[in-house]
Amino acid sequence: MFPLDLWDASLILAITAMILLTLSIMFSPYYGKVNILINKKRLKNASLAFSALFLITVAIRIITIIFML
Amino acid sequence: MKTKIIYSILIAMGAIALTFSIIYSSSILAFIGLGLTFWGIILAYIQTEEYVKRKLLDATTLAPLLTLNKVMQELQYEGKAVYLPPKYFKDQEENRVYIPKQKDGQIPTPEQIQEQENKLFIKNPNGLLLTPPGAELTKLFEKILETTFTRIDLRHLQQIMPKLFIEDLEIAQNLKIETKDNRILVEIKNSVYKNLNKEVMKLKNLYPSIGCPLVSAFACTLARATGKPIVIEKQQTREEGKVIEIEYRIVEEKTEQ
Repeated sequence: MFPLDLWDASLILAITAMILLTLSIMFSPYYGKVNILINKKRLKNASLAFSALFLITVAIRIITIIFML
Repeated sequence: MKTKIIYSILIAMGAIALTFSIIYSSSILAFIGLGLTFWGIILAYIQTEEYVKRKLLDATTLAPLLTLNKVMQELQYEGKAVYLPPKYFKDQEENRVYIPKQKDGQIPTPEQIQEQENKLFIKNPNGLLLTPPGAELTKLFEKILETTFTRIDLRHLQQIMPKLFIEDLEIAQNLKIETKDNRILVEIKNSVYKNLNKEVMKLKNLYPSIGCPLVSAFACTLARATGKPIVIEKQQTREEGKVIEIEYRIVEEKTEQ
């Protein structure tokens, strides 16, 4: 049996999304950090994907609470 | 190669930790496993792009520009270069610049150019018909934007070009485009061509007329977007060459009576 539930997964997704979003903003060409040799577009996409996944887990949680009432 | 080893190790360790977390029902191992697997996948996805050093760009680009300058100097082509719009050519994808022989030489009509468009030296009026240094760069702009500049107007160009320069191609740190009557003012900040531009400035025939590849590419872009011939009116640099200011002029063609 997998020891983590949806709420734990949500926590890990939130932390990862926050780190990735901060990194993507820090490495954005608009702030002059053009000397970092990574695919910034992909970093941005990954951060947005993790944020979306986190929001989905939050939505699932909200729906569960509403149905429990 | 190093990155490949790192992300492979991360994913493998993550998978092992996840397996043990299921066996021992340990949430700590599950957190570690998920974290390692996530970061391994992210590292694999955000791979390093292929980059070339700026010095290499300058070294490979300068030689053809030196030759072009020498040709203009030796053949005494003193006229101001005119970037011609697609209507001057049979092939609409063509980007060419016309350099009149005389200083105040007139611009030929589209028909005159079309008759001799495969020639380098054209007659009546005498001039040079060249592929400018920024022609391929303009094609790259179109390829990335997935459009052709002939379909968009100047106002739309003002909106899309900064994103292309800063975010998509990372050519420059900032780009401003302003229009005043028939003049277009462009300010490029901290471009990758700034060192090359310093070298091109020494070329007395080429620099004021055709410009460096980036300036030339922008002139081609404007000619395609406005559908009118474009001339580089003025160029200047600020902050030790970090900021390049270019003034382009839209040439009004004479309508035949």
